[in-house]
Amino acid sequence: MTPELDRADRAAAVRAAARSWRRAGVIDDAALAAAESAFPDDRVRAGPVFRVLLFLFTVVAVSGVLGFLAAGLGGHDQALATLAAVAGAALLALTELQVGVLRRRQGGTEAATSLLGIGLLLAAAAWFLLGARRMEAAEGVPMLCALAAALAGAAAWRWGYPLYAALGTAAALAALAHLPAGRAVWIALALAAAPALPRLSESPRLPPAHRSSAMAVLLVALGGLYLAVHVGSWEQRLVERLGGRDPGPSPPVSLSSPHGSLPWWLAMAATALVPVLVLAAGLRRRRLPLLLAGTVAAVASLATFQQYLRLEPAWLVLTGAGALWIAVVLGLWRYLDSGPAGERGGFTAAPLLTDARRQAALEVGAAVLTLQPEARAAGDERPFEGGGGRSGGAGATGEL
Amino acid sequence: MNPDVVLAIPALVESGALPPAAAPRLLRIARGELVSVHAELRALLYAGVLLLTGGVGLLVRQNLDRIGPVAIATVLGLAAAAALAWVARVAPPFSWQEVASPNLAFDYILLLGILLVAADLAYCEVQLGLPASHRSWHLLIVAGLAGLAAFRFDSRVAFSLSLTTFAAWRGVALADAGTARAWGASGAWRWNAIACGILFAGLGLGLAHWRRKAHFEPVAVHLGCLLALGGIAAGMDDPAWGAALLLAGAALAGVAYRTRRFPLFAYGVVAAYAGVTRLLAELFHDAALGCLWLAASSAMMIAGLLVAHRRMKEPA
Repeated sequence: MTPELDRADRAAAVRAAARSWRRAGVIDDAALAAAESAFPDDRVRAGPVFRVLLFLFTVVAVSGVLGFLAAGLGGHDQALATLAAVAGAALLALTELQVGVLRRRQGGTEAATSLLGIGLLLAAAAWFLLGARRMEAAEGVPMLCALAAALAGAAAWRWGYPLYAALGTAAALAALAHLPAGRAVWIALALAAAPALPRLSESPRLPPAHRSSAMAVLLVALGGLYLAVHVGSWEQRLVERLGGRDPGPSPPVSLSSPHGSLPWWLAMAATALVPVLVLAAGLRRRRLPLLLAGTVAAVASLATFQQYLRLEPAWLVLTGAGALWIAVVLGLWRYLDSGPAGERGGFTAAPLLTDARRQAALEVGAAVLTLQPEARAAGDERPFEGGGGRSGGAGATGEL
Repeated sequence: MNPDVVLAIPALVESGALPPAAAPRLLRIARGELVSVHAELRALLYAGVLLLTGGVGLLVRQNLDRIGPVAIATVLGLAAAAALAWVARVAPPFSWQEVASPNLAFDYILLLGILLVAADLAYCEVQLGLPASHRSWHLLIVAGLAGLAAFRFDSRVAFSLSLTTFAAWRGVALADAGTARAWGASGAWRWNAIACGILFAGLGLGLAHWRRKAHFEPVAVHLGCLLALGGIAAGMDDPAWGAALLLAGAALAGVAYRTRRFPLFAYGVVAAYAGVTRLLAELFHDAALGCLWLAASSAMMIAGLLVAHRRMKEPA
């Protein structure tokens, strides 16, 4: 990442903070203008809607050009792979040009060219390894995963995209899964990286995008750790299957058996322990991404235990879990709200600098997507049939 | 945690841009010493409501015969009444303007109450054996109840539930867009979607015009535009509907451009582009020519969007 881009991102972070202060009424328009002029923007940026449109049309434009050229090449594999390699390299160079000389940032087009460039280079490499060299999948796929990790990692480092850092880490894990002790490597790497990455994600010496990338890598590594120690993954040999190896026979003792083997009990304990540790780290460092990751992992662990304990009936489990969940959240809210100045341990349930309009839009969007009842079929007046309502609709579907 | 903001705050105070009194609290936030979990708690509450109502749906389905209709209807009714009673107790007085939520749980307990009422009504409708022609009237009743609750308790989420439930009563769901149901030959889905879309958009514009819960306008207008454009797009087997999509999209993009409504501008641009591409697809019988059109037209769209962005000035 160039020093100019680093400075631009740091100034952008301050301007974003100043806008949130303005929304919260802490400063007035004049103060916001003063803050924005003190930390000026030298980049060409687009707003979120235009960014999405520009990204979309760039993808369509590049795909159209490639489709036209591919049609001219007449479907010869080698020619198509060469086209993919040349186009991929050209698109990466175009990304560098946009981010560097043209000073584009958050503009949509440079994100599209970088993504397409990486994808095309991987496609060319896949043809070279699996087609031209006739490599077996067991050999070729790990090399492709390693290449994907390297390309995504380099893109994250050079242009500061946390998403590429996450994808690169996932690709590296997929490559490592092909090692004989892939599962152990996943666990060891996550445990080795876990102490350093949170510090990196807060380091003032790193550019903001690299800090976010460190957090993205941490979250994917923790996801890998959880998958590696999860009792269901251990039983199903998920990591080994991902590594393309014959998972071999199932563990000698069924997980549903109350007399599980020592590894089974260890996996069970780890399934419970990992979410607790991630939540504890999130609480200690006051990092929301870790708290959210810990919550998701805790829910997954509870669902796992429910499967093994065979808690029934399902409606009671769901209703009870929902009621308990609501009670816990309300209790947490009251606990935080009743603290001195409405806070406890550095946490508050007050909105602080939250963008209320954006949050309202997100909530309505989520409600529209998840709560819309199943539409009755026009002209189809069916009698009642059992069949299940949609979650969240609570039977508002007409099909109970 | 934002080290750049931590470094910037003293400089901003010194330059007079930031009131010194505000600096300590902002510094705490920037250092990560004070963290808000407001949005996260609301998201967790929403997940709890979904879990609970999902369980209720299963309860009704699986225990239809064992528990008995009266018991199920009574339990659901009591639970809904309890939730709505709590909401009514803590709700602030009615106003046509935006009203601050009295607490974090308010919206979601209201939502829970409405969903339980919906489940109860649907169940009763089936159990009471209403004539076939009356089936699904519970959707209209729920839409009305949710709408009333949305206005009384100033809940955007309840308002969106009201609109989507009304659309469901007319046989339309956004989730159906692009599926076989929407592309069916009868055209019923298409016309219902267009009618609902126009109705919702008109309702939103009316609310804004008369300043009655004007903050509900984006919900109604966005949903309305999506439904109307989705309805028109569902007929694109016929090039005439492609032309209609082009006109509707261009009109929406034009209005949104003048009023600086960025998401609506995006809907319009994408719809118009899809419409014109559909029309020209009649001319392209060669895949290479089609690709050339996509490349050239997208490049023109990018150039147009860059110009439009310069004039509309959407904040980054």
